[in-house]
Amino acid sequence: MTEPPAVASPGAAMSSEFAELASDEQIAKAAAALERNGIRSLLAATGADARGLVDSLLVDAAEVYNNTSQTLEAIGVADDIERSGRYQPLRLRLYRMDREMQRREMRTLAAAPDYVVGSVHALTEGGSLLIASASGSQLGPLASGAGQVILVIGAQKIVSDVATGLRRIYEYCFPLEDARARRAYGVPSGVNNILIINKAITTGRVTAIIVKEHLGF
Amino acid sequence: MFDYDARPVTPGVVLVGTPASRGGYAIRDFLSRNGYPFEWVDAGQPDAVRAVLGVAEVEPSALPLCILPDGSRLASATVEQVAAGLGMVADPSLPEYDLTIVGAGPAGLAAAVNAASEGLRTVVVEAVAPGGQAGTTSMIENYLGFPNGISGSELATRAVVQARRFGAELLLARPLVGVSADGPGYVAELSDGTLVRGRAVLFASGVEWRRLDVRGVDDLLGAGVYYGAGPSEALACTGSHVVVVGGGNSAGQAVVRFSRYAKRVTLLVRGRDLGASMSQYLIDHVSAIPNVDVRVRTPVVGLEADDCLRAVIVRSGDSTEPVRLPADALFICIGGAPRTDGAAGIGLATNSAGYLVTGSDAASNPGASWPLPREPLPLETNLPGVFAAGDVRCGSVKRCSAAIGEGSMAVALIHRRLAEVGGD
Repeated sequence: MTEPPAVASPGAAMSSEFAELASDEQIAKAAAALERNGIRSLLAATGADARGLVDSLLVDAAEVYNNTSQTLEAIGVADDIERSGRYQPLRLRLYRMDREMQRREMRTLAAAPDYVVGSVHALTEGGSLLIASASGSQLGPLASGAGQVILVIGAQKIVSDVATGLRRIYEYCFPLEDARARRAYGVPSGVNNILIINKAITTGRVTAIIVKEHLGF
Repeated sequence: MFDYDARPVTPGVVLVGTPASRGGYAIRDFLSRNGYPFEWVDAGQPDAVRAVLGVAEVEPSALPLCILPDGSRLASATVEQVAAGLGMVADPSLPEYDLTIVGAGPAGLAAAVNAASEGLRTVVVEAVAPGGQAGTTSMIENYLGFPNGISGSELATRAVVQARRFGAELLLARPLVGVSADGPGYVAELSDGTLVRGRAVLFASGVEWRRLDVRGVDDLLGAGVYYGAGPSEALACTGSHVVVVGGGNSAGQAVVRFSRYAKRVTLLVRGRDLGASMSQYLIDHVSAIPNVDVRVRTPVVGLEADDCLRAVIVRSGDSTEPVRLPADALFICIGGAPRTDGAAGIGLATNSAGYLVTGSDAASNPGASWPLPREPLPLETNLPGVFAAGDVRCGSVKRCSAAIGEGSMAVALIHRRLAEVGGD
């Protein structure tokens, strides 16, 4: 892997090629590729439609962990998971835990939820999913720990290939996420871990909902 | 920071108050024990107040001020108002239940899981939060099946999920104020007037903290003095000097918890040694913590305070000279008194210490009469169809695992009672 490119400012990121919505042809191509790779793909015209699809996929009373995600917050899915009362929202359960005394419980609880719901930083036309994470804690459940994975993906995240996806992470997503982390937590972020899902070997485990709206980063 | 360390998206409750506020502490404790995210804002910090309210000051009479997730505000908030505002106060869904369980601690939740899973229409009424005393314990290391231990809150959370999955209802945030006979069954009345009818009743109401008979304790409650381990206060004890009073497992668990945050923790034990009431694994653990000081034969005889606690006055060993121990917080864990509110009016027999008598003890209790030809069942009180399990019961072993065992066992006995009155 080449050295990461110089970080652009968040302002520059907004006018980037990576903020443009993919065409219908690109969306169809990515969706078909996902299916070939064992990842179920659903199309949603709007964020509201995507929210409904997530609702239809989640099972009542299941343990659900919602990754920190601008996409999920924007369309109300984070709220649904944490406040509807239909599920066991693991974020709330983890938040109440004593970080000193219950660190082991937190780690094990977060590692293998029934459902993890999140987004990605790039989806390639070849059907690969790229997710970056500063701590890495989001990646284990996505790769294998969670029973089911639901990803809501704004169509601006579709790129031609993995190399472009990595460039999208470094040049576009990271400056925005870094700014967000500094505001939210007072600490910078970092492209410290990257997960690339090329294929799902467990049928039906991973569902990607592609939304024809600019959602998230 | 891992992703799961971040705050939930859900806006929590914002609570504005003074550090020495008893009402503020009660709300913090309630929200903590119910797992509800909240932000505490010191009313004496203008910048922090302005950040949440848009103004730098709040009228003292309005404190504690609570901002609910929907943006509505409760001035001079109470626990009951906050609970209602958060939608935590539900009505019973049925006109009658097979089993009404009083208390959602380990015994009550075990009974709920077993009863509901066996098809009994089951409701649990709980004054504060699921978990009981065990629910505030930072780590239970001797409960079967958890070789690395499990926190009391996590055990309670899982038990609630399990009970609800089987169809048990939980009515939270309202204490029981009375029970009355209603034919062969009973009607339980909650503090807001809600009536719950049950063909049988199980008292699993546990114990409340025994009061420390030292002048000034009541005045300082919530202002540096707390009963129990106060999970909501652990973070606030960072860098401070904490004093824990008590010689049992609850005190030991509190010491372990606070030792992770406080600069120093002092455990004061009235007795000669810890072995009388603390489990050996916990004694070993406490003894090995470098910032913990264990003082036996050291009762508390006074407190020093201005608007909040400043020091604990003790006597040590055979000396009659009082010793001043600087302290920022005092957590009192000196055992329990049975919580039998609401049971007195119906004539439930207790022993001299107030614990509910059951089985053969109930049959032979001089203060009560038994109306049936058969003997009371093993966990049955002197009233047919009213049972007791866990710490509230005379003769119970005061351990979480024992309480769970009794709660589970009670269901089999309740089935026999229900068959007796018909319609089981």
